Formats: sequence, C-alpha cells, structure tokens
Amino acid sequence: MIRFSFCVVVALVVLSGCASDPAPSEQLRLTEQAISQARAVGADEQSTELNLADDKLAQAQAAMLDEAHKDARVLAEQAELDARLAEARVLTEKSQEQLLELNNRINRLRQQLGELP
Amino acid sequence: MSRLVVVSAALLFLAGCAGSSGQSAEALNAANQRFQSVKENPDVLRSAPKDVIRAGESLARADRLSSYWGSEDDVVHYAYLSQRYSDIAEEHSALMLNEERIAKLELERQRLQLALREAKLLGVQEQSAWLEEQLVSLTRNEGGRGLVITLGDMLFDAGRAELKTSANRTALKLVQFLQLNPRRVIRIEGYTDNRGDAAENLKLSRERAQAVADVLIDLGIDAGRIEVQGHGEDFPVAENASSQGRAQNRRVEVVFSDEQGRLGSTR
Repeated sequence: MIRFSFCVVVALVVLSGCASDPAPSEQLRLTEQAISQARAVGADEQSTELNLADDKLAQAQAAMLDEAHKDARVLAEQAELDARLAEARVLTEKSQEQLLELNNRINRLRQQLGELP
Repeated sequence: MSRLVVVSAALLFLAGCAGSSGQSAEALNAANQRFQSVKENPDVLRSAPKDVIRAGESLARADRLSSYWGSEDDVVHYAYLSQRYSDIAEEHSALMLNEERIAKLELERQRLQLALREAKLLGVQEQSAWLEEQLVSLTRNEGGRGLVITLGDMLFDAGRAELKTSANRTALKLVQFLQLNPRRVIRIEGYTDNRGDAAENLKLSRERAQAVADVLIDLGIDAGRIEVQGHGEDFPVAENASSQGRAQNRRVEVVFSDEQGRLGSTR
C-alpha cells in the first residue's frame, strides 16, 4: 500500500513537472537566430551540424504545435548548439584556408628573394 | 480499480520518459571525458572560457539528474549540450590560434614584400647603371649615327653567317639594355672586306646582321624594334690592303636610337 501511494506520488510529480513546462518561444527564437547566423558566415547543407540543427528546429516547431513544450525545448536547445558548432567550424575552416594561402604567398616571396642576384 | 488505472498510467509514462539507463550512463561518461580534455587545454580555456564553463554546468546538471529515477532522457540531453559546448570551445580555440598565426604571418609577408620590392628596385637601378657603363665602353658616338657598337668578325666563321657562341655575352647585354630601355630601337648593319664577289659580300653582310637580330629576337626583343641592313664592302673602317685592316672591316654594327626611339639616318 505504501509502495503504491509512493508510486502514485512520484508519477504525479513527474507528470506535473512535464505538464507545467512553459512554451519555449524564447528558446526557439534563439535557435532560429543561431541557425541564420551560421548560414550568414557560410555554413551550408554540407555541414552535418547545420543539417541537424535544421531537422531539430523543424521537429521542435512541430512539437510546439502539439503543445509538447518539453520536447520542443529540448530539441530547440540542441539545435541552437548544433548551429553554433556549425558556425564555429566554418569560421575555423576559413581561417585554415587563409593560413594556407598566406603561407603560399610567403613561400613565393622567399623564393623570389632567393633568386635575386 | 481507478487506482490501478492511475498507477499503470504512471508506470507507462515513466517507461516512456526513461531511455535505457545504460544509454544515459554512456552519454554522461562520454561528455565527462570530453569536458576533462577540454578543461585541461590552456588554449581552449583562454579563447572560450564561457563555453568551457557552460560545458561544465551542463555536465554537472546531467550528473545530478542521473541520480534521479526517470530522468534518463534529461541526462542524455544535458550530456549532449555539454559535449556541444566542449566542441564549440575547442573550435573557438582552433580559430583563435589560427588568427594569431595569421597575424604573425601577415607581418612576415609585408616585411618580405617590402624587402623584395626594395631589392628589385635596387636591382633595376644598379643593373641599368652597370649596363649603360658596359655598353658605353663598347660604343662610340659617331656624329649623325648616334651610339654604335661594333661586333668584331671573330663572332663569325669565315664566309658563314651563324653567330658563334662567343657572341652570347654581348647579345645578352644588348637584350638587357633593350629591356631596360623599352623605347629605344636599333639598326643592325653588316659589313665585309673587299675580297670575293661584291654581290656575295652584300648578301653575307645582310645575313650576318640578320643572325644578330635573330638572336636578340629569340631572347625576347620585339622584332619591330630591330632594323637590319647589309652594306657589303662599302664603308670600310680600315684599309683592305692588310689582313688586319680587312679583319676590322668585317664587322656588324649595332646603331642605337635615342631614348625617344629616333634612329640616326641610314647610310
């Protein structure tokens, strides 16, 4: 009996915890912002992380319509970080290319200087 | 009866919320390892301290939730966020290190570019002065004809029009001079002594002048800047009576225009 009521209490607590989740509108806005920011620096469909972010945002929006607020929040939070990682990776890649190009130019200059009489 | 319904509903719900606890423990463990490696990297700490802190906070949250029943999904979620924060922090660190390297290399590049520009400028000025000196030592100023260089007959075999390799140095000097003075043009004139057939000599003198012109053109001088003339036995510079005099008369002369490209009158 004690065990039964304990279970019921736990279940109710968990249920009420789930149900009282507010609509994560602010989180969705942040996520959308992060995704468009990633696109702005040049992330595209080749980016695994950006694709993940897009998928999760779509799922989060669907969950919002179903009023599954907790699911929506979890998905949107993950999507935000996916997008931020996509952005960071693109920026690193670009700096890598810049570094390579700079090294090439320096080598060419050194070579030319070496060839002078 | 109704109690039974509530309990089974609650159990169903719990089952639904909970992933397998093994999965959440794994996720927590992976996030923890990731965080430890990121946390110990001084570059990451320096470049992305906020992301490292967030990775730690998310991890602590996942860890706390892992001791509650029915929170497996939340554990996995916060472990995921922690991993992402660690990844982002590491990526920011890589970016910062690259940017620092780029800034250093950019300075190096500017320094080298300046050095090269100076070296080239100096080179051109020095070369130009040196060549003019060299050429002036070879030239003489012949009144109306302007500057003239004489290429002696030792540059050709007897009766042949092919320029010998010993002429290369002079040819290279001519080319360099013409490249440094792009507006100057030249006239190449061939001469022979008076031995043999006059018509043959005229032909030979022209061919020798052309041979010199060909070498200059091969070395990159525009053919339009070169005029070629053969004068045969005419205009000797010495008596044809002695072999020494005849040797002096067998020659190719290069006449330079002034800096505006005006050549002196032809003979």
